[in-house]
Amino acid sequence: MAGVVPPGTTTQSEAPTPTKEERVDYMNLPCPIPYEEIHREAFMSLKPELFEGMRFDFTKGLNPKFALSHSVYMGPTTIPSQSSETIKIPTAQYEFGANFLDPKLMLVGRLLTDGRLNARVKCDLTDNLSLKANAQLTNEPHMSHGIVYFDYKGKDYRTQFQMGTGALFGANYIQSVTPHLSLGGEVFWAGQHRKSGVGYAARYNTDKMVATGQVASTGMVALSYVQKVSEKVSLASDLMYNYMSREVSTSIGYDYILRQCRLRGKIDSNGCTSAFLEERLSMGLNFILSAEIDHSKKDYKFGFGLTVGE
Amino acid sequence: MASQGKKRVSATSNEQSIISRVSRSVSQSPILHQTQRVASDAAFVSKKLLRSTGRAAWIAGTTFLILVVPLIIEMDREQQFSDLELQQASLLGTAK
Repeated sequence: MAGVVPPGTTTQSEAPTPTKEERVDYMNLPCPIPYEEIHREAFMSLKPELFEGMRFDFTKGLNPKFALSHSVYMGPTTIPSQSSETIKIPTAQYEFGANFLDPKLMLVGRLLTDGRLNARVKCDLTDNLSLKANAQLTNEPHMSHGIVYFDYKGKDYRTQFQMGTGALFGANYIQSVTPHLSLGGEVFWAGQHRKSGVGYAARYNTDKMVATGQVASTGMVALSYVQKVSEKVSLASDLMYNYMSREVSTSIGYDYILRQCRLRGKIDSNGCTSAFLEERLSMGLNFILSAEIDHSKKDYKFGFGLTVGE
Repeated sequence: MASQGKKRVSATSNEQSIISRVSRSVSQSPILHQTQRVASDAAFVSKKLLRSTGRAAWIAGTTFLILVVPLIIEMDREQQFSDLELQQASLLGTAK
């Protein structure tokens, strides 16, 4: 569905929320979060990038604006198989990347050893209009795709229009209704798969908590709730229900952001529990540990890694 | 002796001797069968209970290891770090 969150998208700057007044000033509502980032807090707390094997990332800044990155990954990769057994094949890959960051322009490119290229562009054409593009090119025919997004930010609303390969068109709109509540909707049409859909989303946030809900005509209902218990700790939970296939899954997790580390743990209703630890060994040196235990499938994945550079 | 032997002979002539009749009544009694059934059921249930308790303990143990142990370690380190900072701050404060 078109509401997929592209990882690492930088957010548009938002106007600060007005201080509490007796009367709500409906003419001066804050600008809402972009539609695809409605679940941002829950997503960041509950879905860290779990991996299996060894990972090493090195980022070197050549300029205040330009940086190169090298990344090595060695470990088993799961092959999707028809039988209930998981098949894992050890793979190793090297990824080379380049980032250019400007206040108005951001260019990110990544190239892998198997010939796949990921590219992301984000450009602020004017104060309110911005252009984003994602592309993924592969060696295999018919597997490359790209999407272009046009975002317009109004005073208390945002709209976005997307066009992609495979005749993918989408549009979404989100509006602040009160200082805490924002509502939005989206429409998409995928020509290649002959699918179209409508979706609605709502987000209610205060200083201490964020609650979001999203419904799509593809049959997906997603609710999430994040509570900020203190400035270091937040707890999150989410529920995904597919009313077409009648599958439901829920997960609950914690996110501890301490001075030296960030620890995220989660337990799922599918019998899966996972934890992700990023520990700061010294300036610019981070040590990562990832663990995922699936009790129902008896699949155990553990990974460790090192990240060097900002 | 002979009279006892005769008595025994005459007793066995009644199909069953006293001892075999007593032992058969004991081994075929409904109480014994019921007790045996209950004992085998109890053994079955307790084996299942032990196995399921073992599995539950394993799942609980590994989940605790993944979710809680890193948290305890990190919180302990954070506590040490903040204690160190407090100590240093008080040291600098008094040394002024």
